[in-house]
Amino acid sequence: MSNYTILNNDVHQNLRVNTSRSAEYGDNIMYTMTFPMEFRDIQSCYPIFFCKDPESGQLYPAALLGFEQDQNLFLSDSGWDATYIPLMVRRHPFLIGFQADPDSGEGATKPVVSIDSDSPRLINDEGTEGEVLFNQDGTPSDFLQTSIGTLESIHRGLEHNKGFIAALLEHELLEPFSLEITLNDGSNNQLMGFYTIAEEKLQSLDGETLAKFNAQGYLQSIYMAIASFARLRPMIDKKNAQLG
Amino acid sequence: MNHKINRVVIVGGGTAGWLSAGVIAAEHCIGSENNNPGDSFQLTLVESPDIATIGVGEGTWPSMRSTLQKMGISETDFFRECSASFKQGTLFKGWRTGADDIYTHPFTAPQSYTEINLAPHWQTAREQINFAQAVSPQSALFADKLAPKQISTPEYAFNVNYGYHLDAAKFAEFLRKHCVEKLGVTHIKANVTAINSAENGDIASIATDSNGNIEGDLFIDCSGSRALLLGDHFGIPLCSKSDILFNNTALAAQIPYTDENDPIESCTLSTAQSAGWIWEIGLPTRRGIGHVYSSDHNTEERASEELLSYIASTVSEQAAAAATLRKVQFSPGHRAKFWHKNCVAIGMSAGFIEPLEASALVLVELSAAMIAEQLPANRGVMDLVAKRFNDKFLYRWDRIIEFLKLHYVLSQRRDTEYWRDNCEPSSIPEQLTDLLALWRHQSPWHRDTNNTDDMFPSASFQYVLYGMDFETLASQTQRRSEQADQQRAGRLFQENAARTQQLQASLPSNRDLINKIHTFGFQKI
Repeated sequence: MSNYTILNNDVHQNLRVNTSRSAEYGDNIMYTMTFPMEFRDIQSCYPIFFCKDPESGQLYPAALLGFEQDQNLFLSDSGWDATYIPLMVRRHPFLIGFQADPDSGEGATKPVVSIDSDSPRLINDEGTEGEVLFNQDGTPSDFLQTSIGTLESIHRGLEHNKGFIAALLEHELLEPFSLEITLNDGSNNQLMGFYTIAEEKLQSLDGETLAKFNAQGYLQSIYMAIASFARLRPMIDKKNAQLG
Repeated sequence: MNHKINRVVIVGGGTAGWLSAGVIAAEHCIGSENNNPGDSFQLTLVESPDIATIGVGEGTWPSMRSTLQKMGISETDFFRECSASFKQGTLFKGWRTGADDIYTHPFTAPQSYTEINLAPHWQTAREQINFAQAVSPQSALFADKLAPKQISTPEYAFNVNYGYHLDAAKFAEFLRKHCVEKLGVTHIKANVTAINSAENGDIASIATDSNGNIEGDLFIDCSGSRALLLGDHFGIPLCSKSDILFNNTALAAQIPYTDENDPIESCTLSTAQSAGWIWEIGLPTRRGIGHVYSSDHNTEERASEELLSYIASTVSEQAAAAATLRKVQFSPGHRAKFWHKNCVAIGMSAGFIEPLEASALVLVELSAAMIAEQLPANRGVMDLVAKRFNDKFLYRWDRIIEFLKLHYVLSQRRDTEYWRDNCEPSSIPEQLTDLLALWRHQSPWHRDTNNTDDMFPSASFQYVLYGMDFETLASQTQRRSEQADQQRAGRLFQENAARTQQLQASLPSNRDLINKIHTFGFQKI
């Protein structure tokens, strides 16, 4: 379970973070949320689908990493085997929290950097392994600054996703999708509960909408998501190779 | 005789009026610009600003989902604006013996119902598990007050079948807005002062106090039990069914929750009383609790005592003390016919019967759908459509009355005259008597409801019969398929138990899901 607290250079002065990639640290995930601004990198490694947050039913784009729960085909003994690691994976053990901000008015909040105190990535001993969060003088380390940059990207990405998804839904450009993958050992993996771009609808969009989508950057994202389908085949090959 | 039917006028703006307007307007293009003004279809609803709607029908069938969907209504908006909740069926208490007995009528048919009749196979296990629980996961779900779906399930789709509980006044207002703003229905607020006849006896127009004469080709009477057009004007009599179904009075109360996070029931509760039964309907904002009884068998004083004692024991003493009861009297029955000349009645003007199986709104949906689909092309063929309509709905009323009566005749209660009278053979329709004799030897299945106009599927008969402890005797002869069927039935019972557990673990509470609909809304996909 997660237990987030606001990051503080006093309490967390000596904390270090293990940045290696393995199931032990919770990297064995089947898919992860992604954002249009990283689609270019994502689509070069992973298929992009859309799925629903079970708590809210809201749709979001996701990078597929495996074919079943807890399976990440990009994880090997030597780490994460891909040229790009998704923002939502890199953010750990940090998260954007929100704190009351009375200066900006009643009920206003401001984003703050929070840390999962229960994360297995945290190191609290006297050693030197891992990345420090704060320099001796209490200023953020390069690692923490990079992490804050990641959180800021995610924060913007979440907002961007809202607009992107709303536009896709308004034009009925998403459709449910199920995929049956038969592996070399004859086993079947069925992917259910995912959504993808409705290409027929896309092809029938009028010029005005296309121009609007282009101006908003959505058009490029849509085609990157479609192109990312090609990444399924290498994943299947990877899985078959693991079966031997 | 051959003028086109272009102008439809609905008189009355309760749930029946606006639901009919929505169903018809969603099917026909109103005032479309491509037509000549004289040719285009017009739908007008005239509503009295002075008469309050009665607000019956707070429970729907699953059919309401497709009715709303066809009208182009967002299910999220419907939930948010009509204080709607999920209804998965009915839970009956005290109907069998008057003690703590319970049975359920869920909306989901038994497992693999189209392929195999599980009822005979359940008979051998009837001492161990009740019928509804053995064949469907749904009654276990509503016993736990769970929702029939998740927030990630698309709008109108489900894990298990469902209808709604809703606030009838809010629903009428919600439909009005949708009809006027989205579907092009013209709304006139005026009182009807007279009815002007044409030479052939048709209604030519209705005179109003503030809007002059409103002409029409077809008039739909949604004026409530008074039946302004079909009853008052045309004199079509009411056929009383009080010799079969005795209940004719209702006392209704609206009871707030003790805590705003109290669980919301996801079924209608129906608890038998000395001379009637008490309904309980859970909305997100309040409970609707009422007592429907026979005034020939009970006094108003005693009936209200029973109702208040129910509220005191299921909610709280304080709630009972604070309750205001509203009395509604009705004559159980329906009009001798529903469509006469160029006038057709929908809703309470067509008939009314105790809400034991929430048949009021579904009849409105079906009536409006048939009018929308078979809108007569001209006055010449209207009488033919009218005859079909009358035949169909007389048949449907008979089936509803029989099905409601079934709930009473199976009771073992003899503690009051009401229950004894209910089992008098003279009060039981002949067809029902015949069916009961047949069902003694074979359980109802598809052959029993093979007419598309049947209101209740045979599965509903199974739930009531076996819920009420009716026994169908084992077959006298051995069937060739018996062994294979038995094995299959055994597997299906196990599958149902597994599915029940899986759904119990994955479905949110009714209250939680409704809160999420208010916060996030359903997705269309």
